[in-house]
Amino acid sequence: MILRTFSNLCAQSQACFRSARAKSTLSDVIDETGKSGLILKSLSTDIFENLALEDWIHDHVDLQNRNMLFLWSNAPAVVIGRHQNPWQECNLQVMRQKGIPLARRRSGGGTVFHDLGNVNFTFFTSKKNYDRHRNLQVVTSALKGLRPDMDVRATERFDILLNGQHKISGTAAKLGRTAAYHHCTLLCSADRALLSAVLKPTCQGIKSNATQSVPSPVKNLLDEDPTLDCDTIMDSVASQYNTEFGFSSPVTLVDPSDELSLPGIQRMACELLAWEWTFGRTPKFSICTTFELKNDTSICNATLNMDIKNGIIETCDIEVPSDWLPVELSREFSLHLIGGKLCPYQTSVIAAAFLRTIPQNKEFERKMYNLCRRVVFMM
Amino acid sequence: MLSHSRCVTRNVSRFIAVISQGNNVLARQAVSGLSASRSVTVNNPAKCGARSSVFQIRYFRTSSACRNEVITVKTPAFAESVTEGDVRWEKAVGDSVKEDEVVCEIETDKTSVQVPSPAAGVIEELLVPDGEKVEGGQALFKLRKGAVAAQAAEAPAAVAAPPPPAAATPPASAVGPIPTTMPPVPPVPGAAISATPVSAIKPTDAPAAFADGRGIPARTEHRVKMNRMRLRIAQRLKEAQNTCAMLTTFNEVDMSNISEMRKAYKDTFLKKHNIKLGFMSAFVKASAYALMDQPSVNGVIDDTTKEVVYRDYVDISVAVATPKGLVVPVIRGVEGMNFADIEKTINELGEKARKNELAVEDMDGGTFTISNGGVFGSMFGTPIINPPQSAILGMHGIFDRPVAIGGKVEIRPMMYVALTYDHRLIDGREAVTFLRKIKAVVEDPRVLLLDL
Repeated sequence: MILRTFSNLCAQSQACFRSARAKSTLSDVIDETGKSGLILKSLSTDIFENLALEDWIHDHVDLQNRNMLFLWSNAPAVVIGRHQNPWQECNLQVMRQKGIPLARRRSGGGTVFHDLGNVNFTFFTSKKNYDRHRNLQVVTSALKGLRPDMDVRATERFDILLNGQHKISGTAAKLGRTAAYHHCTLLCSADRALLSAVLKPTCQGIKSNATQSVPSPVKNLLDEDPTLDCDTIMDSVASQYNTEFGFSSPVTLVDPSDELSLPGIQRMACELLAWEWTFGRTPKFSICTTFELKNDTSICNATLNMDIKNGIIETCDIEVPSDWLPVELSREFSLHLIGGKLCPYQTSVIAAAFLRTIPQNKEFERKMYNLCRRVVFMM
Repeated sequence: MLSHSRCVTRNVSRFIAVISQGNNVLARQAVSGLSASRSVTVNNPAKCGARSSVFQIRYFRTSSACRNEVITVKTPAFAESVTEGDVRWEKAVGDSVKEDEVVCEIETDKTSVQVPSPAAGVIEELLVPDGEKVEGGQALFKLRKGAVAAQAAEAPAAVAAPPPPAAATPPASAVGPIPTTMPPVPPVPGAAISATPVSAIKPTDAPAAFADGRGIPARTEHRVKMNRMRLRIAQRLKEAQNTCAMLTTFNEVDMSNISEMRKAYKDTFLKKHNIKLGFMSAFVKASAYALMDQPSVNGVIDDTTKEVVYRDYVDISVAVATPKGLVVPVIRGVEGMNFADIEKTINELGEKARKNELAVEDMDGGTFTISNGGVFGSMFGTPIINPPQSAILGMHGIFDRPVAIGGKVEIRPMMYVALTYDHRLIDGREAVTFLRKIKAVVEDPRVLLLDL
């Protein structure tokens, strides 16, 4: 596969057209090449930069008579669909412990775990030419090209199954006003233990009408055949893309942090990083759960009821048996959480400040502290 | 058509009234605003009466479609023979949308389809609840076509809305990288405090236009409800102030020796411990040393049982300003730590604070607080005790000052330090001795080694 960096491509087209512009943007360069098919590969493994690049291409490149394939992979991250609930879909405490970021993409669908052993393909087309089956055929044909007797099949739900039982790829898509993109994952050599550890709910008792993921048994292609690594597969899919659509495009490397060629991309990446997008865009939901509170001498069961809209706690009711802790304390604490984000950090700050204001009593202090920690743990 | 002309007359008459007030500037601006628009688009006749300022003439958009037509927008047909999807609203009733702006997204089978608005207008009604299923061709929402609703009315509402949810924590003054001051106690005003409650104060009328023809800036005010946490902390602070016999003693510290020590060892320190050697560790260690020496400063009065609680350990709370507000993480067991350990802990806590990862256990408790107003350039000041503790050390800025040393004037980098303490528990002698001990340790760390 001929690999070129974006600057090579830029230099080539600039030389061809002797442009007087100081620096062209990626879409200018693409238009100048006059090609109807392009393959891009990301130089970054940052999930936010790559998602921002997808959005940038969708918004700025003229896709009416052009198709594009974008190849990318990321350092460990969890990606939830546009209308999903992160508290329901993934274990935020484990992710925080392991430093795994959460990203919300703009396309629909379910939650996926990304790491460097997982490859992503994004197929950009005009709305007219949107055809997910054809795109998935590119992937399955590429795999079959590498291993002719491997059983890989695309299902009606746009998953790709290995040997008819294990899911190796999931799909999501977005239809904009005039253009569309369809992206899918492919499990080559992902960390399956980590995958199952993070794809569990953060807390119990969540009631929500957010899009729910459908869990499936997964397998790595590398387990099936040790010679199938990410780079081999990416090259094969790129070739097959050219064959299927009749293009002759080399793979061009792109740096998603290059603001000069991709004006506005930093702002797009910042939007994706913001709490308001990742957590704040969760459809309205409620948590209704019971939990145990322990201290050295006693144990009791407490209940928590919360309504959350846009990630902000709208109503909160924490009930603790009055013989364990005075009702006013738990009630006051509940009231203090209202209007705050469903965020462990913000809640910890409120809890710490609250603990300093309660009248001194070693026993109540201890119990209240336990309650605060337990509530924070659910976020 | 009738309603349209009625509103135009109303606006014109108001504009004439303004001219008659002798307000030439506004009249000139209004004239340009009115003449620029070929047809003044009226949004809603009912809303017209509420307008009192002439400024909103500028906000009327020129538009050829100036009728208040309500249209029903239908769900677009789905691709690939999909029949239904879930609707997720992006806009709410009453929101104004521009042409082609996304009103909602429909999730069909892993695909998110955007539904743009066919024209500019205001969302009148949402016909399907959020998350419910819709089919292709089904009525989705009603849009009232027309100009964008006056932004003047929206702006104050938008301004009022963000502040309440923004700070559930007590907001700090500004962003600071390292420990900073607690909110300082404002000075007591000399004159008698007026008894007029704030709610009785009416916004004063605007003065006449400036002589040089400049426009008057807006003189509005907006009210933001105090959040519950802030109210509670304020209450606790006042209670503490009312029960404690709070007063402050001052001293000054010559920072030359410690600066020299820092300069001499900063590279080796960085190499061995991977973190920078700052001043905080010196003050934290000095405080711990002095607290073990003066146990009453490390103790606290339990008002309910009328006992004094003396503690054998030293947990020092360090006030840190973060963009989201003031947080007070605690360094535990300082009496057993050396400078390197303290720097490491401060660094860890600082990192956690920066990454929004501080947990309840990081911020709970503390027997003594240190606050650093020096990062903001404070020279001198009285910190306020952080209840339920008995004392707080305030560090201020390091400034070169002429001081008398051995009968001669020398320029030394000097820092004022302040100790606010509860006189019910701590006597003047103890407080001063405590502060002098801190001064002695920071001015010459060998005091620690020799346990002097």
